[in-house]
Amino acid sequence: MVLVLLRLIMLVLTRKLGESIAIDDHIKIVVVQIKGKQVRLGIKAPKETKIHREEVYRAIQDQNTEASKSDLSGLGQLTDDLHKK
Amino acid sequence: MKVKTTRFGELEVDKKDILNFKEGLLGFETLRKFFIVDPGDQTLILWLQSLDDGATAFPVIEPKVFAPQYAVKLLPAESASLSLESLNDASIYTILTIPQNITDMSANLKAPVIINNKTRESRQIVLQDSKLEVRYKMYMELKKYIVAYNSDDTRRTRVELDRELRVETTETVAPAVTEITPEKDPGLDM
Repeated sequence: MVLVLLRLIMLVLTRKLGESIAIDDHIKIVVVQIKGKQVRLGIKAPKETKIHREEVYRAIQDQNTEASKSDLSGLGQLTDDLHKK
Repeated sequence: MKVKTTRFGELEVDKKDILNFKEGLLGFETLRKFFIVDPGDQTLILWLQSLDDGATAFPVIEPKVFAPQYAVKLLPAESASLSLESLNDASIYTILTIPQNITDMSANLKAPVIINNKTRESRQIVLQDSKLEVRYKMYMELKKYIVAYNSDDTRRTRVELDRELRVETTETVAPAVTEITPEKDPGLDM
């Protein structure tokens, strides 16, 4: 729910090299380098803040979805194979 | 309570064995209650079965079986979110993907499922270590472990003793696993 809201009201800011954005009192995002199509960001945040590339979350979602489709019949062969020396 | 599942038929689940996932699992945020099923197929693979949706279950395995060197490191906020003082009070499982070609099976080491054995609070936690793989191929390691386990009688006896001990302490330690005896037809004529 929260995620959906955030997506709807996305704040867009323009920043130059070396400039930064402050989020709450403790998080700071700095544009460290701009090179062609790539932007390098530096993130200063309290240790307990979780920071991941979004692809990581997507990869885990995909893995979960795939895992949830496993069924027992496939495991019969696995049991046989695993016990073969 | 009785729970209908597509894979295992109807199961009897004790309330105290129900795991609470406050945030669900990534991609399955609406499912909050799960329990662990042991289908008794000797693969060491267990199933994290949804209580709310009988069709949703994830094959899981303890990572120590195939990756003894694997160590989970939690941030203070993550331990706090599970009210965990120490990982000694936790059970750790990795979710498995089992494709058609089973030798390609893989475990998600990046985001293990961590269960507080005392409170049953559970979460799938994305670990910070960037070297951990979402799809870690582990078929060979699992096979090696099972073959060694089956051919070592002394070890097997010891493990069985351990298991008996564990059953006695189930009340206070790990959530009991809902076991299905292999003789019983799990009602799988899909």
